[in-house]
Amino acid sequence: MTAFIVRRLLLLPFVAIGVSMLIFALLQFLTPAMRASLYIHDPKQLGAIPEIIRKYHLDQPVYVQYGDWLAQVLRGDLGWSETAREPVADAIRGYFPATLELAVLSFVAILAIGIWLGTLAAVHKDTIIDHLSRVTSISGNSMPTFVWGLILLMLFYGQMGWFPPGRLSLEQDQFVHSVRFHAYTGLMTIDAALNRQWWILWDALKHLVLPVATLTYYLTAVLVRITRSSMLETLRTDYVRTARAKGLAQRVVIDKHARRNALIPAITLGSLLFVGLLSGVVITETVFNYPGIGRWGVSASQQLDIPAVTGFALIFSGLLVIGNLCADVLYAVVDPRIRLQ
Amino acid sequence: MIRRVGALILVSVLVVLTLGAGGRVTGQAVKNQDTFVTLRFGDPQTLDPDTQYDTASYEIVYPNVYETLIGYNGSVLATYVPRLATEVPSLANGLISKDGLTYTFPIRTGVKFHDGSVLTPEDVRYSMLRFMLQDVDGGPAWLLLTPLVGKESTRDKGKIAVTYQEVAKTVTVQGNNVVFHLHSPYGAFLSIIAAWSFVMPKAWAAAHGDWDGSPGTWQKFNNPKLQDRYEFDHMNGTGPFKLESWDRQAKQVTLLRNDAYWRAPAQLARIVIRTVTEFTTRRLQLQQGDADLIDVNRPEQSQVQGMAGVTIRDDLPQLLIQAFHFNFKIDATGNPDVGSGKLDGNGIPPDFFSDVHVRKGFAYAFDYGTFIRDGYRGKAIQPNGPIIQGLLGYDPSLPKYTFDKAKAVAEFKEAWGGKLWDTGFKFTLTYNTGNTPRQIGAQVVKDVVESLNPKFKIDVRNLQWSTFLSATNAHKGTLYALGWAVDYPDPDDFAQPFLSSKGDYPQRNSYHNPEADRLIGEAAGSSDPATRKDLYRKLTQIAYNDVPSIWAAQPTQFKVMRSWVRGWYWNTVYGGEDYYPLSKQ
Repeated sequence: MTAFIVRRLLLLPFVAIGVSMLIFALLQFLTPAMRASLYIHDPKQLGAIPEIIRKYHLDQPVYVQYGDWLAQVLRGDLGWSETAREPVADAIRGYFPATLELAVLSFVAILAIGIWLGTLAAVHKDTIIDHLSRVTSISGNSMPTFVWGLILLMLFYGQMGWFPPGRLSLEQDQFVHSVRFHAYTGLMTIDAALNRQWWILWDALKHLVLPVATLTYYLTAVLVRITRSSMLETLRTDYVRTARAKGLAQRVVIDKHARRNALIPAITLGSLLFVGLLSGVVITETVFNYPGIGRWGVSASQQLDIPAVTGFALIFSGLLVIGNLCADVLYAVVDPRIRLQ
Repeated sequence: MIRRVGALILVSVLVVLTLGAGGRVTGQAVKNQDTFVTLRFGDPQTLDPDTQYDTASYEIVYPNVYETLIGYNGSVLATYVPRLATEVPSLANGLISKDGLTYTFPIRTGVKFHDGSVLTPEDVRYSMLRFMLQDVDGGPAWLLLTPLVGKESTRDKGKIAVTYQEVAKTVTVQGNNVVFHLHSPYGAFLSIIAAWSFVMPKAWAAAHGDWDGSPGTWQKFNNPKLQDRYEFDHMNGTGPFKLESWDRQAKQVTLLRNDAYWRAPAQLARIVIRTVTEFTTRRLQLQQGDADLIDVNRPEQSQVQGMAGVTIRDDLPQLLIQAFHFNFKIDATGNPDVGSGKLDGNGIPPDFFSDVHVRKGFAYAFDYGTFIRDGYRGKAIQPNGPIIQGLLGYDPSLPKYTFDKAKAVAEFKEAWGGKLWDTGFKFTLTYNTGNTPRQIGAQVVKDVVESLNPKFKIDVRNLQWSTFLSATNAHKGTLYALGWAVDYPDPDDFAQPFLSSKGDYPQRNSYHNPEADRLIGEAAGSSDPATRKDLYRKLTQIAYNDVPSIWAAQPTQFKVMRSWVRGWYWNTVYGGEDYYPLSKQ
């Protein structure tokens, strides 16, 4: 398994180079003046376009620009993001932990609820429980996230005042920006715990409730459906019938024999979901004013912030490789018949 | 049973939601008494006062952190009050020379920067020179370079085009005075100084890797990348607030009260200016009292109307104009917007709009009332030229085009030697994606003009900002929508970009009127208000006769804030708010 993992990880630099080359190749479809508009924020600055093109070497052939960029990356500099107003590496370091925090909490909730509900629906096929879980799946998946997010926000913040948007409240935010607080990881909940500032941990969790709930409701639906159908298939297999014939308790049959094998498709889907969550959940981040990487990525793309888009793509491609790798490893863990070679 | 339970839950949710935004906050106590929270939809580009040129940056820079030599007296734009200077120069007090070429500013003593250092006249001189010599492309340096050096930029086609001496001699220190030596008399000079003469300490800047003020090194600091300057994210002014942090991830700037301020310290201890792009989120935070003032677009106004504990200040005059511009010489190369590129009914020739009858036809065919009603919810006036209401020389009695289909038809029938009416035309009108008023205006043009003659065809196309800018800048625009907002409240800031052959729009649209150039130069050079007023009236008449643009609307502004905000006033020049007089009660 170790060799398998190492081989996969060795692929990473090639994927990164491929992705970056693709992005630079696509740049050829944009004129230098279009790319210069990243630096123009007002019609008054239009006259400066030729100078901006010269200053940022936007009129150079694409291979020259790519060579410059690659040399810069090899020196450990991913460039400057005009949309983040800071170096790309700093922006990623800043935005990614916020997204990671949101993604991990959402993913745990999605997995727990999705697998539990999917199993429940399969075991109680065609009963009221099955119908309810399916209705939940369909409604969750068919309602746009911004609608669901806004409803939750209006209800639990606008009316109840419980769960505010953003990442921290005013007082907590001031404390976090002071010298009394040390940011170890960028993950607010972890940093608050490491600083033993429980009031900040509580506040950070309060700010995570609604975005996590929104994502969970939206994404659990898919997992429920996949788990359900996979479970149904497994429940019809001979070995499950044998287990039942042996007189094993229903709980043991489901938990120990059936579910484990039914998890393969769920793992595939789960890894994709997790990578998707990590690459940013733009609408949720926007609705809840949550400073995550997705919102930045979209804003950078819209404004043709090439260094930011490239940096974002590098991170995303890396996550995709690692996500798939994790899924492959998990296959082997849950199903001993699968061997990684 | 389940249906009943489901229905009950649904009804409960709806009831709670419909109970209204205001119910919970009636009589709400002031939240965060000493902290003022503003929610914007744009974030600053830079905090360097000499390179910032957008409203979000300007709000932080001025008048909150950096100060100018003279400033505005609240909302009043026509007269000034001393700030870092102790007197406002005038001919009467002898601080403006009789020939209008020398302006003397006695510098206030005992003023401290946020780092504790004391303001000196040399700091003022250094700051003015830095403003001009740094001259980042697309930045504001032209505002001082034009009146002082007589050039708009320190560079020509990317190469340095001024000497240090040429610039340095324009600002000198004489004892405790700083003296500005103008290239030629410039009536708007005080107006520019009031809005753009920010002062930072020379020693502090130099200690952090910036230009040290020596003649031999300035070129190294010319046209920098914004982020290469220490001042990009550090501030050291004399204003009522100092920078605490700029959290670029959270898109939040926090300012702290400057307790050593030379006037009485501000009442608010802390200002938080945060970017929240989603309107509903901003509205809910205002409703909850977590925000004190929020940005609201005109189409969203109804959603904050009647909110308990919220005040809307409406009909605030704004020095901003929305116009549709005619390109007299379109670059037809690979340009799909001109159709066939000929006057054959399937396109337009590159010089289509050079015929004044075409332009007048469009000006009469524009339904100003509908545009203002639908685009700005009726909260705008129709200007009669680029010299808009609030500027010296604005005269509502001067003629303006009215929506008149008969006159439009008459003009179109005269256009192109009478040929246009029979051949017809087809072209594409463009505006930038997401700008609703411009979209509405474009549709208004299309609907009316196409209704005049079935052979008249206009396609409306929205373009991404980048595409739109590069197309108009490359002379590829046909008839397109773009506006202009004030830099300094003087008619020169509007006459120049719209009517001077060197101005932003005439350059792009190849409009040229030697008489307009002469009048603009004369008006800029005069310091006599009566003379200037007369000259700008003449320019408005030229704008009417030549119709280089359709002067579509001068929208008013409105502000949405908690009712507990005290001391607020409106000044159209500021990018945002003056937080100094504000309090929460």
